[in-house]
Amino acid sequence: MNGFLTMTYRQLKRFVNARSRLMMSIINPIIWLVFFGLGWSNVFNFPGARMIFGGLDYLTYLASGMVAMTIMMGSFISGVSVIWDKQFGFLKETLVAPVSRAEVILGRAFGDSLVTVFQGAVILFLMYFIAPNINLVGAAPALFYGLLLSMGFTSFGITLSLKLSSSEGFQMIVNLITMPLLFMSGVFYPIDNMPDWMKAVAYVNPMTYAVDGMRYWLTGVSRFDPLIDVGVLTVLTLVLAVLAVRVYSRATIED
Amino acid sequence: MGGEVVVVEGLVKRFKDVVAVNGVSFVVRRGEIYGLLGPNGAGKTTTIHVLTTLLKPTSGRVYVAGHDVLKEPDEVRRKIGIVFQDPSLDNQLTAYDNMYVHGRLYGLRGDSLRRKIMELLEFVDLREFAHKQVKNFSGGMRRRLEIARSLLQEPEILFLDEPTIGLDPQTRAKIWDYIVSIKKEKNVTIIMTTHYMDEAEELCDRISIMDKGRIIAEGTADELKSILGSDVVYVRFRNNEGSEIPCIESSVVVKCGRVKDDMLELVVRDAASAIPEIFDAAGRLGLKIVEVSYRRPTLNEVFIHLTGKELRDSLEEAPVIARMGRRW
Repeated sequence: MNGFLTMTYRQLKRFVNARSRLMMSIINPIIWLVFFGLGWSNVFNFPGARMIFGGLDYLTYLASGMVAMTIMMGSFISGVSVIWDKQFGFLKETLVAPVSRAEVILGRAFGDSLVTVFQGAVILFLMYFIAPNINLVGAAPALFYGLLLSMGFTSFGITLSLKLSSSEGFQMIVNLITMPLLFMSGVFYPIDNMPDWMKAVAYVNPMTYAVDGMRYWLTGVSRFDPLIDVGVLTVLTLVLAVLAVRVYSRATIED
Repeated sequence: MGGEVVVVEGLVKRFKDVVAVNGVSFVVRRGEIYGLLGPNGAGKTTTIHVLTTLLKPTSGRVYVAGHDVLKEPDEVRRKIGIVFQDPSLDNQLTAYDNMYVHGRLYGLRGDSLRRKIMELLEFVDLREFAHKQVKNFSGGMRRRLEIARSLLQEPEILFLDEPTIGLDPQTRAKIWDYIVSIKKEKNVTIIMTTHYMDEAEELCDRISIMDKGRIIAEGTADELKSILGSDVVYVRFRNNEGSEIPCIESSVVVKCGRVKDDMLELVVRDAASAIPEIFDAAGRLGLKIVEVSYRRPTLNEVFIHLTGKELRDSLEEAPVIARMGRRW
């Protein structure tokens, strides 16, 4: 467990030492909720509009998705720290240490996931003031779904940055991937109303199940059974984590 | 004492189409400081990376602390410490946390780890900066911290890749002191690379001179210098026709070699009395001398003698390999 715990410690300590990261991660979802959410909630104010969103008012619907969005974006971005580690040489330090590579990379992903889920928790708390219909009692299980989601996407971010060498390239690819995944996940609108090809993507998108599961615990409304959500999410996260471990285990300084 | 802690046999490392290390063999004995001296791009860093399990050899055999780097990389990793050429600290952590994370990765923990960290920070005079973030450290402080960190796991063998590159003279002298006292107090075998002749001469018990991926000479600094004998006189002639300058025959010249088209390297016993003789001899051959310089042989002269070029000039000649070796 040495490698795992040590890397978790390191990622947490880095976050504590660079607290400004917290502000950055909070501002984005707040902007979405205020400008996008408040705007559309007045549009969806006609009789029967609630039917579209499973009986929820739009602000509550969107707010419950925003927590998952915060966690997803934060997870991808934390992968970029691997590129910094390459550039500042710390990656060599971990490559030459006599510990299991799997532990190092999973510990690192776990540490970053804890940070991201913490950011999600802060957002959840702030959302409550804008959309007070959210059920705070369900926060703990909802954040557990967030942790699974975060482990998956952090692993994916790490895999990407091990393969890439510039942070600019990483940012570009992340934007290219995250935006479509967000729109095809049910954060902004229910997946049932999507065209068939979008639905197909939504069904294999880990984000869909995280959003759905978190929405269940925060509002009581969900598209799937929350147990199915947690099951699918676990499987997808495991696949992404195994991928990260495999790529990192083969890493040499030639990459 | 005694015993061979590192054995390298016919090491070759090829990157795509560049051969960075081309058949290198050497042995390092317990307790000595062994130096790899050569210009950038000679293959020193690549050699170090293979010895420290960061790169896999293309061919050849490498044993470090009794273990094959290919078959038992983890055993090797447990027994070595490394200071990389480029910094490898976490800038967002404090000095203490950098040490702590390193110690935990090497399986140390608890009070003994905490005590050791403070001891080593004391050793490199960084104790008062223990809880400051590394991003505010100067180059010399970072180097010292990296040296302290590499000693945490009490390695049998310590690798120092260009330990004083980019540091000012006072800081260099200080790092030298640390290296000498590491060897003395901690009885660690040290393998270091450098392209500074004075550094190799001052610190290393034995030196390998590397150029273009090969070891071209090996021995103590004195042994290497004895390749040249005593003083060395360099004479540059006016060479109008572009023809070859004949060697100067004289009783005072022990050995004569051609360094460039218009320059001879003359090994003599005593330069002061030999130079007038050389002028006479050149006059008899009808040669015009443009420039004369002489030096007591240093490793630089040895390098010129062996490769026909100055160590510091070699930077431009092998840019491809130089970049390959330092991609991070």
